[in-house]
Amino acid sequence: MSHVVQDLTALLDGALSPERRAEVEAHLLACGGCRAERRRLEGALRMLSALPPAPEPTPGFGRRFWARLEAEPRDQGLLPLLGGRRWRWIAPLAGAAAMAAVLVVGGIRHRSQQREMAAHLDLLEQYELAASLGTVESAEDVEVVAHLDELEGRP
Amino acid sequence: MAPDPDAALMLAFQGGDEAAFRTLFEKYGRAMVAFCHHYVRDLGRAEELAQDVFLKLYRYADRYRPSARFRTFLYRIAANHCLNELRRGEHGWRAADPGKDGADLELVAGKDPSPEEVASAAALSRAVQELLARLPEKQRSAFVLARLEGLSYEEVADVLETTVSAVKSLVHRATVAAADALESFSAPGDRKEVRQ
Repeated sequence: MSHVVQDLTALLDGALSPERRAEVEAHLLACGGCRAERRRLEGALRMLSALPPAPEPTPGFGRRFWARLEAEPRDQGLLPLLGGRRWRWIAPLAGAAAMAAVLVVGGIRHRSQQREMAAHLDLLEQYELAASLGTVESAEDVEVVAHLDELEGRP
Repeated sequence: MAPDPDAALMLAFQGGDEAAFRTLFEKYGRAMVAFCHHYVRDLGRAEELAQDVFLKLYRYADRYRPSARFRTFLYRIAANHCLNELRRGEHGWRAADPGKDGADLELVAGKDPSPEEVASAAALSRAVQELLARLPEKQRSAFVLARLEGLSYEEVADVLETTVSAVKSLVHRATVAAADALESFSAPGDRKEVRQ
């Protein structure tokens, strides 16, 4: 039987099937090298369990979060205050209206105008995304949705 | 799969129950700070990142589907957010600051630890941070989730959107690297004798 080093961590974590566990343990009885590696990995796990616990949040962590959540709609116009998810249907309508405006104003006869429409397809996607998230509350939000990528820091 | 009470809370929040979101924040806020701290080693920044995670959870609540356990959904948001922050280069991996972590190190070394015990705990913490800084991204995430956060291999696979078999390999390679990195802290009987 080949060495079982690759399975030793899963063995120590109790993550092997009963059949594989029996095979690995049978191999360990006969293989000093694999037994030594198991001891070494066990030692590492003991040391990791002795690591300092991660620190507790500082007092006011929760209060600061709720304040930040409530401030978001005023800062970004994106999030409804707690409780507002009811205007999501406006977003696709706004998106359709934006697309219609592109078609009427820009026309689609020339390549340059087609390129302009293609650019606005991204805008329509943003409206659809916003609709799926239920984030559109007001006309100001419709404006903000057009710049979702910037707000999210996406390329 | 056993019923997931947190999934029920998330579904209630999707339905407009803001108190359910508050309950989830109170239950997982502390865990998210701890998780983010493994990545940035700065409590203030870890708190900001944890808050970002819950803001994303609030914004993208509609994307949650009850087929996924809530805990793995939340850790997936957090892992991706922390890795993105690190990729932006604003918060490189740092070794633990013994001065900052003094209180935690005392917890580990016991009440009234000797200066030697505090120094030893600080050195161990630094060695783990240096190890994490060296690990490839996926190994690092698997190691943090499985070793430091205590998620099962199945949960880690859900978070990292990979297979259990891949997680087994990632965790094993990271644990071998940890054994190498921490060898100087180990008892003589645990040190490397034969490598396969």
